[in-house]
Amino acid sequence: MSNKYPLLIIILSFLTGFSNAQTKIGKSQLHLSGKIYDALSHTSLPAASVSVKGTTTGVLSDKNGRYELNINPGSVHIYCEYIGYTSLDTVVLITGDTQLNLYLKPASQSLNQVNIKGAAAVQKEIATQNLTVLQGSDLDRTRGLSLGDALKSITGVTTFQTGPSIAKPVIHGLTGTRVLILNNGVTLQAQQWGQEHAPEIDPFIANQIEVIKGAAGIRYGADAIAGVVSVNPKLLPTDTGTMDAEVNAVGMTNSRLGAFSAMLEGALGKNLAGWSYRIQGTYKRAGNTSTPDYILGNTGLSENDFSAALQYHHKNYGVDAYYSDFDTKLGIEYDTEVGSISDLEMRIAEGGPVTTYSFSYFIDRPYQLVNHATAKVRGFYNFGDSSKVDIQYAYQQNTRKEYEELSFSPSLDPALYLQIHTSTIDVNWEHKDGSGFSGSEGLSGMNQGNIRMYEYLIPNYVDYDGGAYAIERYKHNKLLLEAGVRYDYRWLRAFAFDATAAKIDVTTTHYSGNSATLGATYNFTDDLKLTGNYSAAFRPPSINELYIDGVHQSIGEFEVGDPNLKTERANDFSLNLNYATSWLAVDVEGYYNRINNFIFEEPTGTYYHAPSGALLEFNYTQANVYFRGVDLGFTIKPLDSLEINSKSSLIYAWNETINNYLIYTPPMRLQNGFTYHLGKIGVFRNVSVGAENVYVARQTDVPAGYDFEPPPGAYSLFNAHIGFKLIINKTPADFDIAANNLTNVAYKDYLDRFRYFADEPGRNIIFRLRVPFKILTKNKESINN
Amino acid sequence: MIKLKHAVYVLLGTVVFYASCSSKSEEAVAPNIANETITQASLKFTNQANAADTPSCTYTFHLDNNNNVTSVDSTTLKLKANSKYNGVVYMLDQTQSPVFVVSNEIKQRENYHLFFYQPTPIASAPVISNTSPYIPGTPVNPNAAPLNLSVVRTDLDTNNPPLQIGLSTIFTTGAASTGNLRWVLRHQPNAKNGTYAPGSSDLDVNFITIIQ
Repeated sequence: MSNKYPLLIIILSFLTGFSNAQTKIGKSQLHLSGKIYDALSHTSLPAASVSVKGTTTGVLSDKNGRYELNINPGSVHIYCEYIGYTSLDTVVLITGDTQLNLYLKPASQSLNQVNIKGAAAVQKEIATQNLTVLQGSDLDRTRGLSLGDALKSITGVTTFQTGPSIAKPVIHGLTGTRVLILNNGVTLQAQQWGQEHAPEIDPFIANQIEVIKGAAGIRYGADAIAGVVSVNPKLLPTDTGTMDAEVNAVGMTNSRLGAFSAMLEGALGKNLAGWSYRIQGTYKRAGNTSTPDYILGNTGLSENDFSAALQYHHKNYGVDAYYSDFDTKLGIEYDTEVGSISDLEMRIAEGGPVTTYSFSYFIDRPYQLVNHATAKVRGFYNFGDSSKVDIQYAYQQNTRKEYEELSFSPSLDPALYLQIHTSTIDVNWEHKDGSGFSGSEGLSGMNQGNIRMYEYLIPNYVDYDGGAYAIERYKHNKLLLEAGVRYDYRWLRAFAFDATAAKIDVTTTHYSGNSATLGATYNFTDDLKLTGNYSAAFRPPSINELYIDGVHQSIGEFEVGDPNLKTERANDFSLNLNYATSWLAVDVEGYYNRINNFIFEEPTGTYYHAPSGALLEFNYTQANVYFRGVDLGFTIKPLDSLEINSKSSLIYAWNETINNYLIYTPPMRLQNGFTYHLGKIGVFRNVSVGAENVYVARQTDVPAGYDFEPPPGAYSLFNAHIGFKLIINKTPADFDIAANNLTNVAYKDYLDRFRYFADEPGRNIIFRLRVPFKILTKNKESINN
Repeated sequence: MIKLKHAVYVLLGTVVFYASCSSKSEEAVAPNIANETITQASLKFTNQANAADTPSCTYTFHLDNNNNVTSVDSTTLKLKANSKYNGVVYMLDQTQSPVFVVSNEIKQRENYHLFFYQPTPIASAPVISNTSPYIPGTPVNPNAAPLNLSVVRTDLDTNNPPLQIGLSTIFTTGAASTGNLRWVLRHQPNAKNGTYAPGSSDLDVNFITIIQ
């Protein structure tokens, strides 16, 4: 079922130093090896040819599908072909001995949809940190879900939800501003601080989602103390004169969601060679979600997304431009805007909605309107010595309007309006030499401004950030060492409103800190490696933690910020053991993330008396806490056609300052499943079936007095899926039918803020269709030089 | 040539970056406007036997400039023993100009609103029905002297079948006693069924009540 082995990384890279690979004569040649597989059945392919384009280097795979090549370091243009399969043509950056498994798709399938798995230790931004990649059929099986939900299949990652339509990713127990999200290389700058502010990204743009679990501030700047989620679109095509399209359609029985996504891409030929483009759009509509026993009123959503990319690549340099627009309207479940503690207590006692709602696509108040636009321009230059400089400028605008339920006002205005403008500039220089050293150095800058209207919740502010970093790696035989340091500075000026004196208080604060990383990987054999990493990172307090003052569409809570908060400092230790052979893959990671001055909300014990009743007052405070846990994943392939998967994550969080547990720590989660590849049955090709069980334990380690209700009980869900391919009118179409919560279990999840009000969704049958097709193809001979 | 082109892009990016930095819009702070607030809620009574006897009680929310409540005060409701009073609701949002009469708007949206009136202490649980103005779950205290007050709503909305609203009421007092009157406005869009449970509270206040 899983195409994903933790620490395995796709290396389709558009470092287009084509000319380098063939002209350079390296002092020492590197060893490239791996196996060639059928991408669908995962059977090995003997006598497939692998060659380095532009050289005479080339071999045939042995009877086990294994190949070995000696090549020069640098960008290598790999070409792999096998009769009856689509040839694979890709550029890979080789800087050390590399294991690269190649996956060929049968020729009847779409071209350009090759799937490569390989282990290239030095390709990651932070080599000694755990990186998990969601791609291929695993990613396809999340189509139509939100970004947060799509990531749930990754060990150690879960979501923090606000009803069925809003999900934020949680990595190793932390979420919000502590998890950085990258949209095509641009750090998403939105109102991430809000618990009910879902990431503004269309997952249909991605053909790969990377997740770094752990403090990654060294490369991604302040804030990334829990992890990074990177949503990466497919690289733009470079085969001149081609044009391809892909259509995705998703339908779900629960919520009657319909999603439609279309993409057109191509590379221009002749005089315009080097130019390539892509446009992509997504349209999504969903109505009220059903739990096994009732319908959740006003839980529909609508989403319209658009993205466009254009690039020009020449021999050693290239420029690309990217624009994306995400626009959504999210319904917030009826009866969840409680006016007071007594309302909330009554809801909890009822356990579910007291009003019977019927199915509807209509989205009523309360709802959110969110728009996020991103524009970026990036340029790179590859130097002859296989070093590279990269410059990126991005501008983002996030507009959030929250409409509350109105009792008597005829107003058409939102309750809250927030608009955040962000400009970022990043410069990164990567270098490597023949002696085993490689690294990257860079600078980054950010300017951000926030504008609010209507209700006062957070102030307007202006923020300037600057950072500089250096990460160096040294590889010697089986050992890889890595070390890096970073310095970040933040200047923040808030235009906070003094409610008593009715004037603006201009407050300027400065935050600065160092991030560092130190790690080592030792490859005992080709199959077994051990990685240890220590990372230090910091996070300045976010604007809401400093200045929030008011009721934030939240659950009977009145929040008060503290302008004197200090920065959070994380010290994250992790140890990762990875063993991967053709029939068994094991990945175990243990971590200990200690965070000093961890900022959290604490009930003050006093009540705020709103007209609608009493609300509990919370203020932001700091404590020293730690998170420790284990992520365990393994895959067994007893037969070539059968894959058995098991993923477990365990986490424990403790507040040392007050000697108590931390609230909202994810409970133990186990996922066990299998996929069986049946091959061809009649007109159905590549038939595969699978099933999994998801078990989530009850969270028993909770602090007393911080929650309105004890955590819900454990639950166990069964999911199943069947996938196949049909050739309709010479066009291959991938079908996938999945059933989530097959047994229609009524359950509540601890990490859903709306668990007080309702159960989680019931059975959902999901139909997915993907049709890739070629519009223009180029002549055959140009492929083979 | 290539490097020159590259440098141009860097320069261009830098220019755009600094241009965007010079925005001053963040300093022009918009005023704080809440869509709806209740600043004052009153009950006004007229003795059915004596039009000159017009007691009332008022609950006031004092707001800061963020429209957050800083303090509250309430007046005591004093009713004559063994009397019948006609009661009406009067609610204001004084943050708006002109002052917004919330109770008039509630009359406009009568099919979504329902008032509850709960005297306490009570010696035994009141009968809670679709026409009862009493709040379910109110604790019973058989040891305390009860507040001798009963309340009925006298108005109907245009739901089918019509449901009570509670903008006008009849308060019937018994023997002299003291206690509290809890007054709740429930907001129940598309869900009003005469009971307390659906929707959420817009107003939830308490008056010290003296029957003398």
